[in-house]
Amino acid sequence: MMMKMLAEGGLPIVTDQLRTADEDNPNGYFEVEAVKQMSAGNTAWLQDAGGKVVKVISALLEYLPQEYSYRIIFMERAIKEILASQRKMLARRNEESKVDDAEMEDQFRKHLSVIKPWLVRQPNMEVIYVSYNSMVNDPAILCKMVIDFLGLPLEYERMLAVPNEKLYRNRKITT
Amino acid sequence: MKTLILGFDSFDPAVFEEMAGKNQLPNFEKFGKNGGYSRLEICSPPQTEVSWTSIATGADPGGHGIFDFVHRDPATYIPYVSILPMRKSAVGEQFVPPYTAKTFFEEAAELGYPATALWWPAMFPARPALPVNTLPGLGTPDIRGQLGVGTLLSSEDEVLKKTGVVKLISAGKDRFTASLLGPQTQSRSGPQTISLPISLDVVDEKTARLTIDKQQIELQLGEWSDIVELRFKAGMLFNIHAITRFIATSLRGVVRVYVLPLQIHPLHSTWHYASSTSFSKKLWKDVGAYLTLGWPQDTTGLEDGCISDEQFLALCESIFNRRIQILYYLMNDFREGVLASIFDDLDRVQHMFFHDRMDVVQAWYRRLDRFVADVSARVEAWSGKYRFLLMSDHGFGEFRNKVHINRWLLENDYLSLANGAGDLSGVDWSGTRAYAVGLNSLYLNVAGREGQGIVQADELEGLLTSIKTKLLDWKDPHGKPIIQKVRLKHETYSGPYTRFGPDLVVGYAPGYRASAETGLGKIPALSLEPNTDHWGADHCMDSDVVPGVIFANRDLRDFGTISFRDIPFLAIGKHLDQSNIKPPSQAAGQGQKDIEERLKGLGYL
Repeated sequence: MMMKMLAEGGLPIVTDQLRTADEDNPNGYFEVEAVKQMSAGNTAWLQDAGGKVVKVISALLEYLPQEYSYRIIFMERAIKEILASQRKMLARRNEESKVDDAEMEDQFRKHLSVIKPWLVRQPNMEVIYVSYNSMVNDPAILCKMVIDFLGLPLEYERMLAVPNEKLYRNRKITT
Repeated sequence: MKTLILGFDSFDPAVFEEMAGKNQLPNFEKFGKNGGYSRLEICSPPQTEVSWTSIATGADPGGHGIFDFVHRDPATYIPYVSILPMRKSAVGEQFVPPYTAKTFFEEAAELGYPATALWWPAMFPARPALPVNTLPGLGTPDIRGQLGVGTLLSSEDEVLKKTGVVKLISAGKDRFTASLLGPQTQSRSGPQTISLPISLDVVDEKTARLTIDKQQIELQLGEWSDIVELRFKAGMLFNIHAITRFIATSLRGVVRVYVLPLQIHPLHSTWHYASSTSFSKKLWKDVGAYLTLGWPQDTTGLEDGCISDEQFLALCESIFNRRIQILYYLMNDFREGVLASIFDDLDRVQHMFFHDRMDVVQAWYRRLDRFVADVSARVEAWSGKYRFLLMSDHGFGEFRNKVHINRWLLENDYLSLANGAGDLSGVDWSGTRAYAVGLNSLYLNVAGREGQGIVQADELEGLLTSIKTKLLDWKDPHGKPIIQKVRLKHETYSGPYTRFGPDLVVGYAPGYRASAETGLGKIPALSLEPNTDHWGADHCMDSDVVPGVIFANRDLRDFGTISFRDIPFLAIGKHLDQSNIKPPSQAAGQGQKDIEERLKGLGYL
């Protein structure tokens, strides 16, 4: 959702369009495969990413090269919703989870408790935390916060149109 | 970059949190409401000079080399003050900087920003080659090159524990004369103490007139004089300048006038007092005279009964106020860079009153709160981005019992005495495996390192474990532990100086601290002694017992635990040492694998 919002706002997105829209993500994935190779040292592609938006999962943030500066919009979501969504995605991909949800939830919480203190100590990274759930329920304020954080003249109204109730389909599972 | 730092020495989180809970410190509390308050993890040991140096460098003692207020020469076992090292040179003995590790002040200056550190410990002597403005704090010596003891002028014969007493000789009705002992100089016949003649006229029971160095000073009973500038004639064309303050404490019956330790005169110092020289002179001329001793709040005078509680507090107040004036003067022209000022009066007040007069202590916390309100109002008028940090080097606690740890080592067969001497000069080193010098430091008597070392390399580990285990088992008569934590050097420190540190860092439990005698390697008769001194509270315990505080005009909550290692980053946005920041993949432990597998399954990895 945030990637789509930023694209609508007028920011160029770094994407190879290898992963196309599907049932899980009808707006598309806005991803670039090269991100996955950062841990192996493949970061040359970032030379052309200045001023653009790249989607990076939190587990890979530590591999972003230090010579660049980053503004990171860190999307947060109720973990139970994430797990529910992941379960569906895994099922569609015919993948099995070896770890149950309770254990996975614990691991994700630990991951967050490590990644946040690390991020806040990175001199080349500025971070804003955006709640996915709040963005869906009350996007106006958060959308402005994101624009302020980026300090760029983005298309506010177009961004605001993106948060979509249809995307929020997993909410009932947790409540 | 624009950063203002206020350092409140010994500001204790527990006292703050309790008072804040009663809405007694609203201006500190404002930071907390925006997530800008946290307890600060401090380095070990929790000593002022160690901690502020670790804060300035982002490094533990292994990275800067100050491990304790007192170090020892391993060859001779002789203790020396770590923050006032001297080196022999062609022109005699000279003070040398106690450490050379890079501070965030230097880093900011290298980035092209002005940087100023006021009253920061362990910054004497100044390093003129560095583009950092400094007025040094703790560790700045008196005019004799020592940490500073005052003089009591008394019409009676008196002997005090530490303070020198000079007899006031009657020279007629209500008139006395004396000599004020000044610095030492070298003469053909050896070291010679220069003195200045004093005459004192008691005008009435509340007023006296003191004449010294061609100056007449009116003294009102119980009130401190202004700062007085003195010249001690050291040769035909050479004077040694000093500053001090006088206070008449008794003018009826016994006549007593107390003189603060003779301090470096910033306009005429023969040592590199400050950096730059013009900076310290400008402050003196534009703002006013200021005391220069590293410990100007004269706790020794109070402990020896030379001044009263109220007179001591009045001295603290006046020092505090002058430092505020200097800070505000510099803030008027502060456009960019780093400006930091330490305020250490609270530390001295707590040493003297924390154990029995919390009303006095709490009044100081409220005083600081009002000061913070005033500074905040000035800072909030700034435009643009800025950083505003307030912090302490450690907290505080009661010091109810003195621990003579060398006696404990003796009782547990780690130390052996050759004769009855109560210090390291009486130790039988051929039968000694461990000894203590400093307030938290314990050393093994290592063969090849110590002058008469006997502990072989293959014995080290077992001996460290043995001492650690026994220390942790040591209980007081009520069954409470005396030692909170014992830290091994190589587990605690990292950096090039680690090998010079103590082998064990002894962290005392609440209520306990090493005795002053232990600091100097002495061996009194008992291992434990109740502390009945005026100095009834302290912080040289275990670093976990006395954490510090940090307040900031930013949200600190994402940091998790904030430590001294984070201060350079918080101050100038740059780490001086990143070695302790583990990437998440290394810090997350076992769960990292599960997450990676899950993310692979989802196509994200």
